Amino acid sequence: MIELSHVSRTYAPTFGRPARALDDVSLRVAAGEVVGVSGPAGAGKTTLLSLVLGHAQPSSGTVRVDGVEPRRFVEREGIGYLPQPCSLPGGWRVTDALTRLAVLSGVHAQSVHARVDAVLADLGLEDSRRRRLRKLSPDARARFGVAQAVLADRRVIVLDEPLDGMSDDSLERLRNLVITLRAFDRAILIASRDTAALHRITDRVTLIDRGRVRRAGAPRPVTPVDVEAVFHLAVHQGAEHVLGTFPTAIALGKGVFAVRVSGLTVLNHGLRELLERGVLIASVAPAHVGAEPNAYSPMAQVTS
Amino acid sequence: MRARLAAYGGAQLRDYLAGRALLTVVATGVAAWAYGFTHGLTWSAFDASGGIDARAQLQRAFEFVLTAFALIAAAFAAQGLVAKHRRRGYDLVLFSRPLSPVRYYAQGFVIAGLAAALLGAMAAEVYAVAVHPVSVIGAVAYVLLGWLTVGGLAFLLSTLTVFHVPLLLLILAADLSLDRYVTGVRASGAGSPVLDVAQYLLPPGHVVALLSGSFARGVVDPRAVVWPIVFGVSCVVAALLLLRRRPFGS
Repeated sequence: MIELSHVSRTYAPTFGRPARALDDVSLRVAAGEVVGVSGPAGAGKTTLLSLVLGHAQPSSGTVRVDGVEPRRFVEREGIGYLPQPCSLPGGWRVTDALTRLAVLSGVHAQSVHARVDAVLADLGLEDSRRRRLRKLSPDARARFGVAQAVLADRRVIVLDEPLDGMSDDSLERLRNLVITLRAFDRAILIASRDTAALHRITDRVTLIDRGRVRRAGAPRPVTPVDVEAVFHLAVHQGAEHVLGTFPTAIALGKGVFAVRVSGLTVLNHGLRELLERGVLIASVAPAHVGAEPNAYSPMAQVTS
Repeated sequence: MRARLAAYGGAQLRDYLAGRALLTVVATGVAAWAYGFTHGLTWSAFDASGGIDARAQLQRAFEFVLTAFALIAAAFAAQGLVAKHRRRGYDLVLFSRPLSPVRYYAQGFVIAGLAAALLGAMAAEVYAVAVHPVSVIGAVAYVLLGWLTVGGLAFLLSTLTVFHVPLLLLILAADLSLDRYVTGVRASGAGSPVLDVAQYLLPPGHVVALLSGSFARGVVDPRAVVWPIVFGVSCVVAALLLLRRRPFGS
């Protein structure tokens, strides 16, 4: 879905020496993946994201989103994007700002208010709906930034430092939100300085520093055969059969389920059953959150 | 899922009326008060039974106010659009949506121009009914001419630099000064065809400033507005091309 191939980006100021913000960076984010980009301040994370948005052009290399130039993709479909900082006129009220952005996002006229109410609830901003943006606390402002990014149903979501300014409660909300946003046809790219937090909410993390990839996100370790684990199962068609096969599965989003199984044998048995029922499986991946003891319950809260 | 840009026009109109239109009205009011103060204009001048001198004085005052309104409205037409969005980073939030910046800013510019023309029409209508007959259509056309020429220049500068306001004032001041200089040289008998062409090709702020009387009377020589229109359209087209090519966040 998102593909950067040997991308370099050099800033050439009118005065002073050119600065290379990215140097031969390659990165792929497939549909259904949540990928993190981590690194210290000035590492090149924001530059990388601005290339994905088409806000800047690479000095060399290619950037493609869904196989086309980023700007073309953005103007055709839009990207759910949280910039850092997320600036909008401070005099706008939260609801007004989200309504305007929903209209610009192409949300249907009849759905705008319902959609705005839904993201306000998801991000815990109901009490701030009448507040002006300049009056928001740093935590509420951070949540507003995420809210505007997820207003519309997008196939690509890019979040730049979404954790900045967030309280622990808000981090938990964000984590739950990312889980619900996961879909078989959606690529999510998140940049943050907080590598540990990224590891908790993404499938893999690529570390960059001074414009170069220092450590590419490694694939997850193979799940042992006889250990209970949670998997993310994405299906393209036949979603109605999933709960019949995996009764404890939780629907996370459009065709995406969290499935807890007692081992790989049980998982494969269930998958075979689904295939026989004509279900078209898009992906099966170990849920990262499954590594944490309390990870399963927040998902239930979100979907209940 | 495309942006519903036409539906967003209402928000752009609200932004204009609550911000730039208000500034335009206040600034024009200050200019009108200053004119009246410096020309000794009193309320008795608005008396319908006033003589020819009083009516001529009123007509000059109206033309001045019309010129001030058209130029101020034009200068504000693009104010707060591109440069402010870039400087404050609003463009990053806006243009991650399925939205063309060219169409977004073009619509904002057109809405500002039409709203300014509507304000001008209302003011001219009130003046025509209550004080002295003037061509309301002429006043509207004059406001639109100012919007296209000076506003078009302001729009172009706004896509180029954050210093668009001082740059616009500088260009207009240079334009008026050079026009006055060339007119003076010609009056002294030292004019030349080169100077005439140079004067004609100056940014047409000075031409617009001179035309308010003709428009208010509804009698305009079409040749006088050719260069201002060509200049304005060129500026707007250049601004839209720049919007297409220039990266965001810069």
